[in-house]
Amino acid sequence: MAPAIEGMVPAIESSEGNNKMNKGYQYPSWKKKLRGLVVDNEELCRIVEKGIMGLCGVETQAVETGEAAVELIASGATFDIIVIDRFLPSMTGPETARKMREMGVESKIIGLFALYFEGDEEEFVAAGVDDFKEKPLSPNWLVPMLRELDN
Amino acid sequence: MERNQMHRQVSVMRQSLFDQGYLDEQFIQLEELQDDANPNFVEEVVTLYYRDSSRLILSIDQALERNPLDFNKLDTYMHQFKGSSTSIGAKKVKAECTQFREYCKVGNGEGCMRTFQQAKKEYTILKRKLEAYFQARQSGPSETACRPRN
Repeated sequence: MAPAIEGMVPAIESSEGNNKMNKGYQYPSWKKKLRGLVVDNEELCRIVEKGIMGLCGVETQAVETGEAAVELIASGATFDIIVIDRFLPSMTGPETARKMREMGVESKIIGLFALYFEGDEEEFVAAGVDDFKEKPLSPNWLVPMLRELDN
Repeated sequence: MERNQMHRQVSVMRQSLFDQGYLDEQFIQLEELQDDANPNFVEEVVTLYYRDSSRLILSIDQALERNPLDFNKLDTYMHQFKGSSTSIGAKKVKAECTQFREYCKVGNGEGCMRTFQQAKKEYTILKRKLEAYFQARQSGPSETACRPRN
């Protein structure tokens, strides 16, 4: 069966990473241990995004608010990739990203949106995100990004 | 023979959901997340979607009864609704959410109301189809039978 995702390698024996063999697809395993953080107020989105990050070999945590994400980082947690939803309840997505950069976070930060609003992308980019993407979080753009991080 | 027929029926049901545009490839991503440890992941996620969205739909309905309409609030609700619908691959519902946003942008209350009625219709149709699919899947032997790890 052809790989579902461009650039996917055939299955290789590896004890590293969080890859799963499922229906003939081999999700990648990485040289480094990649860690991810999902910041999304919706429980459903957190579950699904965390799951997809996991499928892609990223050990992922998920939090509901920008404040919780900032607290986690302040407590010493480090991440390779952070995805932040555009709409968070109090501290907004861009505010969260800005705060993280101020704290010295150098991880890949991706702003995620479900509906596009004028000015959102500019706001997120000004706050220091690396990219601004429409949901769903997809292995198609996630995996190449992770490959870069792994090198 | 009967077992194979059931299996084929479930497969046909599943494929028609994609062919008729009710679901997109995000649903396949959810299926990828299903395994021995989480054998009913898809059904659980879909159940969560319908549970949480019902509250959101009520909020949107109430917001649409206000005069004048608060388009900012409607936008925020719709963002949530589209986000959740996107997460499960509810293709037609997503499309209506996008359309709703277009009407909100120009302050077209009538358009918003009409579109939301359509979104609710698609939401309900999908719910019925998914319920039937999950029921058929549970009642027949499944391809990926769950065996506890030893």
